[in-house]
Amino acid sequence: MAAPDFFKPRQLLALGTATAPVLVAAMGVTMIILCRQIDISIGSQFALCSVFIGLAAQKGGGPLELVALAMGVGGVMGAVNGVLVAGVGLPSIVVTLATMATWRESLRWWREGEFVRNLPETFQWFGASQMTGQWLVITAGIMVLGCMVMITQFTAGGRFMYAVGSDPEAARLAGIRPMWVTFSVFVSAGALTGLAAVLNAVRFTDVDPKTGTGLEMQAIAAAVVGGVSVAGGRGRVLGVFAGVLLLACVGPGLVFLNLPAQWERAIQGGIILLAVASDGLGGGRPRRLREQHEEKKRR
Amino acid sequence: MSGMRKKEFMMNLIGRGPSRWMAAVSVTAAFLVGCDKSSDTAPSSGMAKTVTVALMPKSKGNAYFISCRKGAEEAAKETGVKMLWEGPTEPDPAKQNEIVETWITRGVDVIAVAAENRAGISTALRKARGRGIKVVTWDSDAEPDARDFLVNQATPEGIGQTLVEEAAKAMNGKGEFAIITASLTAANMNEWQKQIEIVRAARFPELKMVALRPCDDLKDKAFNEATALLNAHANLKLIMAICSPAVPGASEAVKQSGRQDVRVVGLGLPNDNKRYVKEGVTPSVILWNTMDLGYLTVHVCAALAHGKLKAGDVTYSGGRLGNLEIKGDQILLGKPFVFTKDNIDQFDF
Amino acid sequence: MNENHNASTTSQGGWRVWFRAESVLLLLLVLEIGVFSKTGTNFWTRENFFEVLRLSVEMGLLAVAMTPVILTGGIDLSVGSLLGLCAICFGKLWRDAGLSPFAAAFATIGLGLMAGALNGALVTRLRLPPLIVTLGSFSLFRGFAEAITKGVDNFTNFPPSFLFLGQGYIFGVIPAQLPCFVAVAVSFWVLVHRTVIGRELRVLGTSPEGAVYAGLPASSRIQLVYVLSGGVAALSALVYVAHLGQAKADAGTGYELLAITAVVLGGTSICGGKGSVHGTLLGLAVLAVMKNGLTLSDLPGELGGILTGVLLLTVLSGELFMRFLSRRIRLRNRARLA
Repeated sequence: MAAPDFFKPRQLLALGTATAPVLVAAMGVTMIILCRQIDISIGSQFALCSVFIGLAAQKGGGPLELVALAMGVGGVMGAVNGVLVAGVGLPSIVVTLATMATWRESLRWWREGEFVRNLPETFQWFGASQMTGQWLVITAGIMVLGCMVMITQFTAGGRFMYAVGSDPEAARLAGIRPMWVTFSVFVSAGALTGLAAVLNAVRFTDVDPKTGTGLEMQAIAAAVVGGVSVAGGRGRVLGVFAGVLLLACVGPGLVFLNLPAQWERAIQGGIILLAVASDGLGGGRPRRLREQHEEKKRR
Repeated sequence: MSGMRKKEFMMNLIGRGPSRWMAAVSVTAAFLVGCDKSSDTAPSSGMAKTVTVALMPKSKGNAYFISCRKGAEEAAKETGVKMLWEGPTEPDPAKQNEIVETWITRGVDVIAVAAENRAGISTALRKARGRGIKVVTWDSDAEPDARDFLVNQATPEGIGQTLVEEAAKAMNGKGEFAIITASLTAANMNEWQKQIEIVRAARFPELKMVALRPCDDLKDKAFNEATALLNAHANLKLIMAICSPAVPGASEAVKQSGRQDVRVVGLGLPNDNKRYVKEGVTPSVILWNTMDLGYLTVHVCAALAHGKLKAGDVTYSGGRLGNLEIKGDQILLGKPFVFTKDNIDQFDF
Repeated sequence: MNENHNASTTSQGGWRVWFRAESVLLLLLVLEIGVFSKTGTNFWTRENFFEVLRLSVEMGLLAVAMTPVILTGGIDLSVGSLLGLCAICFGKLWRDAGLSPFAAAFATIGLGLMAGALNGALVTRLRLPPLIVTLGSFSLFRGFAEAITKGVDNFTNFPPSFLFLGQGYIFGVIPAQLPCFVAVAVSFWVLVHRTVIGRELRVLGTSPEGAVYAGLPASSRIQLVYVLSGGVAALSALVYVAHLGQAKADAGTGYELLAITAVVLGGTSICGGKGSVHGTLLGLAVLAVMKNGLTLSDLPGELGGILTGVLLLTVLSGELFMRFLSRRIRLRNRARLA
């Protein structure tokens, strides 16, 4: 980036605070993609969780209760996806397409787009000062990232995910139950989305029920740019971290370079295509072919 | 699995049972035959004489239009009309068009539209007029020949002028400012921007616009955009937010940045902004009374349907609003209202 | 499932034919028509019949062209954005480059085919997953549309001869865009159901590896479906522009998901290999009638969104359950025979 102002601590802090929720949501999506599934309903889950948080805060819920509530609501919505995908056996893209529409439209019907206002003073930044609050949000994001790195690389659960993602049948024969792995991944992704909603909501003093529109595309794009294979079983959490940061920098970057805003979306699309194209060109082609074939066979 | 598929695939190739096709054809045929009969009877079987007024906002999920609806419902009760309230959930000209076309089929008496896109909605509105449906536009206009009246809350000139005046007041007449808009494609916002530029160039040449950013009508995005602007432009004195979710978004960003030298002005709802106006981050919020806007629109629709309002009238007396001026085919609600620390507590919408 | 096959295995099997997605949809459609005739004002009229058809042409074109893409196991998320890009390119060519509407329309369709070819090339040449390729071009096409118009340019005042395509009525009853839609739908039906290419598309969706071993020209077939999808998106853009009388960069936002919904609701498997164009048309009809009926019954549009989601899940789970049940019955009968 050719603009020195971009690297000022204040800007970085603000960017980090704004990006932390996306990062947390992207972590959930990454798990799902690793298991060879996809989730396009997280934007709607995010919005629904945000409204629940707002309403609970109005009634005087403390920070911990809010986090628990959001993760619970998110987890339940994730469980709905999980049951339909792992239990009933419907393709995840269709299931989450349907739940995306259902949650979002129900929310619209219920709230009619009204902000959740008049939240208590202690809601914003968990009642701490702004600086502390920003650091809290970023720390939470980093902690989730850290946990995910640990889980995916050093625990049995992580290996299960990679195993189910690369070959569910082999995983089953190896004594893993793909159904449960898939189900729990959807539930945890829902819970992470709920957490992301909290991290996002505490930045403000009221809740916009339209929040989270397009979050699913952002998260999937970040995962893909970060090198996660949609064929499942391949990809690193730290790569996704890089993907989130890269895409998050495009918008503010344009402002700092004084370029017109209209190019933001084209540039993001270009980055996605470039990232996957370079992945496709640079090695692993036979493997990719195989993966694709297998993906179709299995799904 | 693939064995199963192959079998099915073979079956698809061989052919399908004729029964389904027969069923499909017979249903369609039955439908067409049925249509023949009912198309004659349907119009006459209308429900007595209640006037049906169909109101469309730009988008249903916008707090601005939600407050308009409250006024509209009040007026519907007063005038005894049946009011429909439907619109796209996000601003979308194609959806607006589709709903208007469906209303034409339904046979409402008056259609009132807040047009998202001037040209896009006009074709459908002309068709409605062709069928004898009265058409009113409110909030933002369509082509003049596509509607009978425009209920105009404030002219773009008035809005542009008030915005720049308030901005200049907050900036002591000089310095850099940035605009946050809803989307780069919204017609009325572009019109306001044009007016802002005209007023600025003519009366406040020392003001300088340094950036224009869209926020997709989302508060979170407005917050992020405002934060980036604050950090990118060290000399920024003011952010002008010209869509209602952007005002609290930008104000929050300014507050969090700790920049004492930056202020926000914009078009926003009093309830969204009370906090910031009182804290002084946002010296003034500009808007008309949105409830009155909805109220007046329904009154005008009812008057049109009952034949009490005709082209050429010069004043209109609309319920509790008293006598209002009609300029050509525009009914003016009044001047934009400036909410400040001193008066904002008197309003609740 | 085919009658012959059923008859040969079991006499009870005959009823199974009614639990295919198409039959369920037909039932739903009849149900919808029944309910809305009661609740909706002027629902059951010939005018409304054509109105429903007219309003679903843009979406229908996209859904019909999406069907073969999904049949091969692919997906095209970029059609909505491409519609927007084509719409404004048409406006640009006509207004700024001074082409006649006819020439501009041709060029626009060429652009659509090229954009489709880009998707196809990335999918076949680089062996990238279609979901990701079209997710990228989804942003890219919309981004270009916004960048070309700087987001604010709005093309209007098209000549009446062109607007007729979207607003006129032939003989005063038939919407002008309907013949165009029927032609495209029939061509796709023939392509998918009555040609060798259609059969190859199914094979590709069922078992890509098998298709390659069987010597099918896999790449060129996949390329074909994306090119067609792009071309039809451009055609859909023309209808859209003629219908609304304006072209702006936000045209067609979200259409891709609606088109996919119609296809999937119509019984096409998202994994490929199984599906039909007439199923898609039925799925489309169910969605269009629902939207129309809700508005005519003065019900909020959000209900339509909720019902769409619920319908999608119910129809698909129902189909899955029936398939499971029929397999159980077949196995039991086979066991009895043995």
